[in-house]
Amino acid sequence: MPRTSLFRTSGFRIAAIYLGLFSASVAALGATVYVAVRSEESAEIDGDIARESTALAREYSAHGRERLQALIEARGGEASSFAYGLADADGHPLAGDLAPPGATLGWVYLPAPPRRDAPARARALVTRLDGGERLVVADAWRAAHGPTRAVVVAFLWALAGTLALGTLGGVILSAQILRRIDAMTRAAQDIVAGDWRRRIPETGADDELAQLARTFNRMFDRIQSLLEAHKNAGAAIAHDLRRPLARTLRHLEAARGENASAEATKAAVAAAVADIDGVLETFSAILRIGQVESGARRAGFKPVDLAEAARDVVDAFLPAAEEGGRTLVADLAVALPLSGDRELLTQMVANLVDNALRHTPRGARVAVESARSPDGLSLTVADDGPGVPESELERIFQRFYRLDAARATPGDGLGLSLVAAVAELHGMTCRARDNRPGLAIVLRLPETRVARR
Amino acid sequence: MKILIVEDDEDAAAFLAEGVVARGHEADIARDGREGLTMATGPARYDVVVVDRMLPELDGLSLVKAMRAAGTATPALFLTHLAGVDDRVEGLEAGGDDYLVKPFAFEELMARLAALARRPTLGAEPTMLVVADLEMDLIRRTVRRGGQPIDLQPREFRLLEFLIRSEGRVATRRMLLEKVWDFHFDPRTNIVETQISRLRGKIDHGRAAPLIHTLRGVGYTLRAPH
Repeated sequence: MPRTSLFRTSGFRIAAIYLGLFSASVAALGATVYVAVRSEESAEIDGDIARESTALAREYSAHGRERLQALIEARGGEASSFAYGLADADGHPLAGDLAPPGATLGWVYLPAPPRRDAPARARALVTRLDGGERLVVADAWRAAHGPTRAVVVAFLWALAGTLALGTLGGVILSAQILRRIDAMTRAAQDIVAGDWRRRIPETGADDELAQLARTFNRMFDRIQSLLEAHKNAGAAIAHDLRRPLARTLRHLEAARGENASAEATKAAVAAAVADIDGVLETFSAILRIGQVESGARRAGFKPVDLAEAARDVVDAFLPAAEEGGRTLVADLAVALPLSGDRELLTQMVANLVDNALRHTPRGARVAVESARSPDGLSLTVADDGPGVPESELERIFQRFYRLDAARATPGDGLGLSLVAAVAELHGMTCRARDNRPGLAIVLRLPETRVARR
Repeated sequence: MKILIVEDDEDAAAFLAEGVVARGHEADIARDGREGLTMATGPARYDVVVVDRMLPELDGLSLVKAMRAAGTATPALFLTHLAGVDDRVEGLEAGGDDYLVKPFAFEELMARLAALARRPTLGAEPTMLVVADLEMDLIRRTVRRGGQPIDLQPREFRLLEFLIRSEGRVATRRMLLEKVWDFHFDPRTNIVETQISRLRGKIDHGRAAPLIHTLRGVGYTLRAPH
C-alpha cells in the first residue's frame, strides 16, 4: 500500500474546506464593510464637491469670471483634492484641467484628470453659472486615497493572511493526523505480515484517533488470544491423544509378546480397547462442539424451560454426588424459558455439574440455582471447591484448557468448551467468577421482548 | 435372530456379518439401498435390519421410509458416522427404531439388536411384570419381592422396569442412559453405576439369588435364577 500523499488526506481536505469557508466569510465581511464605508464616503465626497462648487459659484457671482478663473488656477494643482474645469457657453475651455462634458448638467463621472494617483474615473458636478459658463468640480483624490481604499487593502491583506495561515495549518494538521494514521497502517501491515505482537503505539492523548488506536489494539489482543487458543488446541489435541495412543501401543506390544499368557493378552487388549474408546470419545466431543458452533441445531429450536432441564440433571446426578460425598443442591423455583434445544441444554447443565463434582474434594457443596435479577434471568452452577485463579477465569472455556492442578484428574478439557458453545448457540452469555471460595459459572439468558416488558 | 445388514463398505459388512454369525445368528448382506429395500420387503422374514445412513442408490433414510410405506414393520437400526451424531432424530422420524454411532463396541450393537428383535408386538400391554419372585405393578407403581413391598424412587422404578422388560438380555450403559435418563450423551459422573447399586441394595440385598447381574465392560442384565 503506498503511503498516502499529504494533499489527499482527509485531514487536508477538511482543512481546505474550512479554509475555503473561512476565506469566503472574510471576503463577505470585507464586501459588507466596503459597501458601507463606500456609500458613506460617496455621500461625503458629493457633499464636499457640492460645497466647493457652490462656493466657487458664489465667488463668480460676487467678483466675476476673472476672479473665478484665478481661483481655479490657484486651487487646482497636484496637491488639490479637487480638479476643476470652466468653459464658456460655447464649450471653449477657460480654466482648469477638466473639459466639461457636452451639455450635461448635474452629477456625472468623468475620465480622471491627468494626475498622479488620481482615480480612473472621477465623480463630478457640472453646474451652469449665471453668465452661461459651465463649471465642473471633480473629486481628484478621495476616491483613490480615502478610507474605502484602505478598507479594501486591509481586507485583501487579511484574506491573504487567512489563506497562508490556513494552508499552513491544514498542512500541519494533516501531517500530524497522517503520521498517526500511517503509524496505524504500518502496525496493521506488520501484523498482516505475521508479527502478532506488534501494536499501534498509544499516545497519552484522549482524542478519537487515540481511541481508535486503543480499540484496534484491543482487537489485535483478542485476535492474538484466539489464534493462540487455536494453536494451543492443536497442540493440546496432539498432547492429549498421544498419551492414550502411546499406552495403547504399549498394551498391544505386550499382547503381541511371545511369552504373554492368554490371560495377560486378553487384559492388554481390553486396556487398549478402553484407551481407544477414550480417544474416540474425545473426537466425538470435538465434533459435537464443532456441530454446535456451526449453528445447524438452531433450526429445531422449541420453547424449553432451562430450569426444568437443570432439575432433571440434578435429579440424575444426586445419587452419584451423594455417593461421592458431595452435597448437590438445587434452587430452581424461577423458570428460565427460552427457545432452544432441550437435549443440548441438558448436556450443558450436565457438563457443568459434572465439572463441579469432579474438581471439588469430598465434602464440597455444589449448588444449581436459577434467578431473576434486574439484569435478567440466569442459571448459576457454583461450588465451594478450590476454584480457579482469577487470571485463568477467562480461559477455562477454551478447548482443552485444563488447570495444571487438574491435569491429574481424568477429563478431556472439552466439557466447558461445549458449555460455552451451547450457551452461545442459545444467545446466552457464559461467565466464570470467583465464588469465594470455589468457582461459579453464570449463564445469563438472552433478554426476550416478553421478559423486558 | 435373522439379521439383514445393508452396508456398502465391504469390510464393515463382512465384519458385522462374521460377528453376528459367530454369536449364533444368521446374517444377509445387501450392498446398496435398492438391494436392501428389495430384500427387506421380500419373502425372507428378518428379525431386524441394520441400515447404514449413507448408501449408494438409495440412502438409509429413504430405504426405511420406503420399507415402512410398503408395510414392513421389521425393526430397523441406523448406523451413523461420528460426524453425524445429530442424525438420530431424523432417523427416528423416518421410521427407524434405534441408532448407533460408528465406531461402536460389538456388544453394544448385539444388545441393541436383541432389544429390537424381541420388542413385544403391539397388543394388550401387561399391567404386571413378573420375574421369579419379583413383581412390578405398572398401574399402582408398586414393587414386591417375595411378597415384601419395596419402596423405589421414580428413577429406580423406571430403571427396574426397563431391566425387567429386557429380561435375559443385555442393557448397556448407553442404552440405560438413553431410555431411563433420556441422556443422549455420556456424563463422566458414574450416575448409572450409582443408581444400579442403589437398586441392587433394595432388590437383591440380603437375598440368596440376585436378579441384577453386571456384565463387565458391557452392561447389566436382569434374569431369574436358574
